[in-house]
Amino acid sequence: MKLDPAIRDQVLSTVPSLRAFAISLCGHVDRADDLVQETLLRALAHIDSFEPGTNMPAWLFTILRNLFRSEYRKRRREVEDAEGRYAETLKSHPEQTGHVEFNEFRVALAKLPSDQREALILVGASGFSYEEAAAICGCAVGTIKSRVNRARTRLADLLAIDSVDDFGPDRATRAVLTGTGRS
Amino acid sequence: MKPGKPVNAEPSAPDADAETPQAWDAMRRPTHRKSEVRLGREVQARIGQQLRALYDEVVKEGVPQHIDDLVRRLSEQEDPTA
Repeated sequence: MKLDPAIRDQVLSTVPSLRAFAISLCGHVDRADDLVQETLLRALAHIDSFEPGTNMPAWLFTILRNLFRSEYRKRRREVEDAEGRYAETLKSHPEQTGHVEFNEFRVALAKLPSDQREALILVGASGFSYEEAAAICGCAVGTIKSRVNRARTRLADLLAIDSVDDFGPDRATRAVLTGTGRS
Repeated sequence: MKPGKPVNAEPSAPDADAETPQAWDAMRRPTHRKSEVRLGREVQARIGQQLRALYDEVVKEGVPQHIDDLVRRLSEQEDPTA
């Protein structure tokens, strides 16, 4: 059975955001593209289980996340190394974005625990509802909300510290400043 | 600590109440929800903005040619697993 062109186009139109999500999970464009490719192979092989009219992006994101997670469990150490290198690469190549502030944000994002980063991206960048993000991650809606909140708080902390750095205070001053920054 | 629930690779459809946008553009509409976090509004806005900017940088690259070819080739096959 050939694939319905409408379904094919739905798959293709999800690819750009699927890649953005994959890059946020793996930190490497090449690995992310492999992951996207693997996801599409699997999705097209099981396209019969996709119900036309339902949420194609959520379906593909779920497959990609599951593939990543199963690979992650197998290669946990490698992935952690990769994440560390990713953060380092970003620090040493600010010209990648040509925007220092933007780059600081990337580094801060890379420091988040992966479950928090994933939840924040699904809700804050991919535009999924909390319910859709929960379905994609296979967890409760409340869990997604709390991960998103923790991610935002942590990012705010990381970025606030960075901006204090810009004024070049010594460590003690910085501790006072960041300490008073919270209620 | 809750036990990890096994996740099916082929999820059933999210419930009908959830937004099910057909087009990706519709999905990427910024969604400003009621603030549930006690962070400064400015800080939150900045985080949201930068997050979307970072993400959209990749989205704007579109579909890589090799992936476009792959999907089109597989969708023409009688058996996509072949």
